[in-house]
Amino acid sequence: MDRTDRQPDPHDPRDPRDRRGAGGQSPDAAFAALLEDSAEELYENAPCGYLSTLMDGTVAKINTTLLGWLGLTREAVVGRMRFTDLLTTGGKLYHETHFAPLLRMRGEISGIALELARADGGRIPVLVSSVVKHGSTGEPLLIRTTVFDARDRRAYEEELLRGRRAAEAARRQAEAARRQAEAARRQAEADRARLQETLAVLQQSLLPDTLPEVPGLQTAAYYHTASPDHLTGDFYDVFPLDGTRFAFFLGDVCGKGPQAAAVTSLTRYTLRAAALHDPDPVAALTTLNQVLHERYTAGGDPRYCTTVFGTLDPDPATGGSTVHLASGGHPPALVLRADGTAHFLPTPGGLLVGVLPQATFTTATTTLAPGDTLLLYTDGLTEARTGPDRTHLFGDQALLAFAARHAGRPPHTLIHALTGLLAGFGDGLDDDTALLALGVPAPDSPTRSTR
Amino acid sequence: MNPLKITTRDAATGPVLEITGALDHHTAPHLRAHVTATALDAGRRLVLDLKGVTFCDSSGISALIAARHHAHTAHADIALAAVPANMLRILRIVGLDQIFPLHPDTATATRPGPASP
Repeated sequence: MDRTDRQPDPHDPRDPRDRRGAGGQSPDAAFAALLEDSAEELYENAPCGYLSTLMDGTVAKINTTLLGWLGLTREAVVGRMRFTDLLTTGGKLYHETHFAPLLRMRGEISGIALELARADGGRIPVLVSSVVKHGSTGEPLLIRTTVFDARDRRAYEEELLRGRRAAEAARRQAEAARRQAEAARRQAEADRARLQETLAVLQQSLLPDTLPEVPGLQTAAYYHTASPDHLTGDFYDVFPLDGTRFAFFLGDVCGKGPQAAAVTSLTRYTLRAAALHDPDPVAALTTLNQVLHERYTAGGDPRYCTTVFGTLDPDPATGGSTVHLASGGHPPALVLRADGTAHFLPTPGGLLVGVLPQATFTTATTTLAPGDTLLLYTDGLTEARTGPDRTHLFGDQALLAFAARHAGRPPHTLIHALTGLLAGFGDGLDDDTALLALGVPAPDSPTRSTR
Repeated sequence: MNPLKITTRDAATGPVLEITGALDHHTAPHLRAHVTATALDAGRRLVLDLKGVTFCDSSGISALIAARHHAHTAHADIALAAVPANMLRILRIVGLDQIFPLHPDTATATRPGPASP
């Protein structure tokens, strides 16, 4: 290799240029001279303490570093104090019981943790190593001792210990918090279970579990709840009046939540009781109106409902059934004919039930022939928001068209189709919705009720 | 969320409340409270201008009935003005078009005379 092109390495001590100006000394000596004035200087000011004692412990020689740590003068120590005089009481004890015997036995000992007692009363944790120097005949002459400042190390260890204690405390706290959270969760679950049980019982007072068998008629119902507690604000029922006639109703209480559910319950039982007394639809709604008005509006907490109430009067001669109904502020019922047509059964002008002390209700009558179905619904269905931006209402006309497509089908098929329609509204359906279909079976169709 | 805005002014016939926004479960109590706080002398007329109402559910209907109750308790009248088509449809279904005097606008609603048009 041609070395003429090589650049001199400034860090290479062998580089000849570094030797210039060293005054002709050998290179190693020149370095040593730069770094240490003398071995004595190294001894005195080394970063550790040095100490030589006689075999009885009397200090014979001690370096400046260690004197500095102790805060003592050389005169006070050399020849006057023993090594153990430099230690704390605990250090003295440990020295007598462990350090000195081990040293005598093995001739050397290293890394023993002791504490120096400073002249000002302070303590310095140190690590001490000692070795016995023997004479030419093997007799012990003196003890050489190095003392390392362990304050940083002790601080580090204490820091570790503190950290460990803190971690332990945090772990215990976390554990306690976890146990608390677990207990709270179990309590909440128990509360929730109890509440759900209560709600389920109350719910049964709002809606019938099953619809009764109505001779010569098929019935089907569906309820969609938008309320997370399943307390319903819409309601319906079908029940026998006497040996031949049945009554039915469906409605919607204004408002939401437990207060609305309380009105629902009152409404349902008022209508059932009123109908047994006088099954005329206007009479039943008038009784309900008086009860709600007296109970709520007169008491300063007005609550209302919209209701369709009706009776079914089967005609064994035709197999059909006559419907008399009255509406208080409720959307018109739909009639689906066996021939595939559908129309509303208008009841305009019927007033919301419970608003005024005396209210007018509008009646309507129709006859269901075999294959015809009467559909009652609450406005959750017609007020459902449709369209990509949920700004359009489903509306009466769309419902009428939908009903016409299912006219002639039995009630449970119609309700099934409507259930699918409701599901398709997704989040556009934000209100409770009740559906009740009453139909006279087409010839050869079995009587059947579903919910 | 469409907040409800209500501004009150005085007409020759009495207070006029201009209501803007959606009248629903959340906002209807606000209208109720506002109406209840509106002073109304006997023989005066409370006019609710509903031109700006974008939505009204059963809670909104209840608030209207509460307003009617408030007016009648004070021996005053109540009238609805500029009812939007969709809200009018609902008022007709629940029969309230028969118990509330309805006016096409505030100008006719505040014309002195009986509340009914």
